[in-house]
Amino acid sequence: MNALLNKYQALYLHIPFCASRCNYCNFFTKAIAADSSEISEYVDKLILEIRKASRAGELSNIRTIYIGGGTPSFIGQRELVRLAYALSTAMILNANTEFTVEANPDSVQAAMIRDLYSLGVNRFSLGVQSFNNNELVALGRRHSSAQAKAAIEVIQERCENVSIDLMCGIPLQTINSWQQTLTTAINTEVKHISVYPLSIEENTPLYESIRLHDIADEDIQADMMLKAAELLTAAAYNRYEIASFAKQGFKCKHNIAYWTGVPYLGIGTAAAGMRHLTDGRERLLDGKVIETLNKKESILEDVMLALRMTNGVSDSMLKLAYTYIPKLAQTITSLYDQGLLRRTADAYCLSKRGWLLGNLVFAEIWSLA
Amino acid sequence: MVDQVLDSMDIERERGITIKSQAVRVLYDARDGLTYEFNLIDTPGHVDFTYEVSRSLAACEGAVLVVDSTQGVEAQTIANASLAMNANLEIIPLINKIDLPAADVDRVKAEIEEGLAIPADDAVAVSAKTGIGVPELLEAICQRIPAPTGDRLKPLTALIFDSYFDTYRGVVALVRIVDGTLHKGDEILMMAADVRVQVEEIGIRRPMNTPVDELAAGEVGYLITGLKDPSLVKVGDTITLAKNCASEPLPGYREVKPMVFTGLFPLDGDQYSDLRDALDKLRLNDPALIYEPENSHALGFGFRVGFLGLLHMEVVKERLEREFSLDLLATAPSVEYHIYTTKGEMLSIHSPQDMPDPSAIERIEEPYLKATILIPPDYVGAVMELSVGRRGIFDTMQYLSANTVEMKWAIPLSELIMDYFDQLKSRTRGYASLDYEFSDYRESELLKLDILLAGKPVDALSFIVHKDKAYDRGNTLAIKLKEIIPRQLFEVPIQAAVGSRILARTTVKARRKDVLAKCYGGDITRKRKLLEKQKAGKKRMKNIGSVEVPQEAFMAILKVDE
Repeated sequence: MNALLNKYQALYLHIPFCASRCNYCNFFTKAIAADSSEISEYVDKLILEIRKASRAGELSNIRTIYIGGGTPSFIGQRELVRLAYALSTAMILNANTEFTVEANPDSVQAAMIRDLYSLGVNRFSLGVQSFNNNELVALGRRHSSAQAKAAIEVIQERCENVSIDLMCGIPLQTINSWQQTLTTAINTEVKHISVYPLSIEENTPLYESIRLHDIADEDIQADMMLKAAELLTAAAYNRYEIASFAKQGFKCKHNIAYWTGVPYLGIGTAAAGMRHLTDGRERLLDGKVIETLNKKESILEDVMLALRMTNGVSDSMLKLAYTYIPKLAQTITSLYDQGLLRRTADAYCLSKRGWLLGNLVFAEIWSLA
Repeated sequence: MVDQVLDSMDIERERGITIKSQAVRVLYDARDGLTYEFNLIDTPGHVDFTYEVSRSLAACEGAVLVVDSTQGVEAQTIANASLAMNANLEIIPLINKIDLPAADVDRVKAEIEEGLAIPADDAVAVSAKTGIGVPELLEAICQRIPAPTGDRLKPLTALIFDSYFDTYRGVVALVRIVDGTLHKGDEILMMAADVRVQVEEIGIRRPMNTPVDELAAGEVGYLITGLKDPSLVKVGDTITLAKNCASEPLPGYREVKPMVFTGLFPLDGDQYSDLRDALDKLRLNDPALIYEPENSHALGFGFRVGFLGLLHMEVVKERLEREFSLDLLATAPSVEYHIYTTKGEMLSIHSPQDMPDPSAIERIEEPYLKATILIPPDYVGAVMELSVGRRGIFDTMQYLSANTVEMKWAIPLSELIMDYFDQLKSRTRGYASLDYEFSDYRESELLKLDILLAGKPVDALSFIVHKDKAYDRGNTLAIKLKEIIPRQLFEVPIQAAVGSRILARTTVKARRKDVLAKCYGGDITRKRKLLEKQKAGKKRMKNIGSVEVPQEAFMAILKVDE
């Protein structure tokens, strides 16, 4: 295998702390006091890991960095600056390096944005979720709609590349309030919008209360996702993945790395990494290998991930895949016949219905593993 | 020492019940200085096994009637006590579990006297757990239960009261010698089966098999002949000597007839022959189990299996799945209907699929049960309502005590196997107890109701229903199935129909959204695992045409609450 091809191109850093836990959250994070010494100890540890990776030459080909959580902005200006500074000395950070930091509206400050921007952070991803206050309360978010708008403006003063997350299928949400949230989002002129249907995970407060209250059902969520695609596309946000819409030139390169089989390095608690093997790939968590995929499985994973994106899976990629998994041809045809895939000039991609029923498509493909 | 030595099956231990009778011989040094030989049989109590119990009782001189001191007399107690009385046994009432705080020995004594007409002054109060009362019980057995009578000089008569299968030795019969003597090497005749065979080995059980040379009148033991086919060794049959034949068999023998029938299908069609082998093996120890191949359009190849009752059915299905690692799909149970055709024939059918065209039917008869229900007086109304709703015909009602009412009903078996017992329990807060026996076949206006999925009838979902209930049951089942069948890629109409007449229709809407939106670095593994789990869930479903149907759909009719 080409050694260069197996160089990490994307770097993920995980911050497992939040001010409080949201009602729907089952991510690896914990609520902690903002002045807890645990935070700076953790950042020390991350910096040490970054230095180690740098010395091992693992950072020499990194094109994108993503600090996610948890809530990275929650750990404050000082700690984030320490982290960004350590990165800037451990690797080459230039204008072409996409460097994203996740933030929550209630912990965005102008000074923090200023300092991070000057250290090379050039993209902020803001967890807005909704511009409706009742819905934000239902989710257990700490910010209001007004705070979200203010935070966007604060970031935009320095950095034009702002992404926000929005959620549909929130308790109390209606198709009208969803439309208002989308319109408000478009008016803020952020460059990137991610749209997620709320999923109710076990062991969350929301899961417990859902049995008592009504949650938007499958049909309403489907209508909401269709509405999002309609309004965002009309406002020149182009869908490039199931949940991702971007203005021209603002697709998230880091996320695209995850969907195109590019090796990525994860640093920090519960941060995932992936690297190629001669005959497949392996995934790491907390620095340990947690799974190994053989060649066939790796290819199927690539096909699945490619289908998440608008461009779909190209004929040349399929041609290679068929040599390892001849049965795949039949599966692709049958998914096409069922109306879940459509044809473009040189690829198969999800149909309008397929966008909403991705799991059925992915499950069929993965079942060949 | 291991607890529950005789209830050796996992299912028996888990559920605290006895499915298979066990016999054992013990010696007891009594206070009068004599040594007594006890031949003990532990029998099931459940109504499904009434015939087995009756044959065990026929092998005995006396019975210890165990009543739970916290529960009191139950319908099952009455049923088993009357079996013992009919067999002219000396009955020792035993009140168990007196170590529990909720024990009420006086109340239970009163119920025994009023409900069973058995004097309870000399009932023995026992805690089998702590051992209190056990010495008194053993003394009571010595003093009150008569020694066996019987004449060792008469021609041999021996009762087969149970049997089991030994992989090396073949069928082992458990026998009570009534008259005469039995020796190794004798040529014997099993009178009902009309089988002649030589005795390979006889012996006694304590509880391991211990060979002896002779079993004589009054004794209990085992008998090995080398026969491998358990259907030849019938419980209740009489053994005599081929050369010095008894003139009459012992009374009480009958063929065991299954009452409840269900289709059992392997989820994975490749397991069909494994299922057949497993049934063959289970049958060795359970001759009451009968089965024949059944072919369903919807479910493929399987078996129509006949059981003594619902408990028997549950136990067999569980054993097949546990002991033989089979994944089985069971269809809703049915009963044996007698169909009189316009040509004057009588057909016995066990499956709705075998129902002839209505134009060929003159009349249909279905089995009725005599059901006995014991309840506190407050619940008489609830039982009335439930039983009338299930086409029950009220017979009698009497107070057994101030706290206990006995009601007798005639109820169609087909109604009883539809969650009647669960309903009875829930409507009486668990106080009701139920026992029943076959009564007779009665004419009913019955129809075959079909269920159509996506326009195609699904044979495994058809059922036979009374004319007056067809609409309600069809409608509720269509609604129930709509809840059970998950949304699919395409809309699935569900129809309930009698012949070409559609009684009810519901629709499972097409899937609109099923997508994992967030899928970044760390999510990929987790989400792929989720897809695998979904896929595994689908494997537990049955594909009928293009429709994926979960297993519980085939049992949904049993859960149609009214």
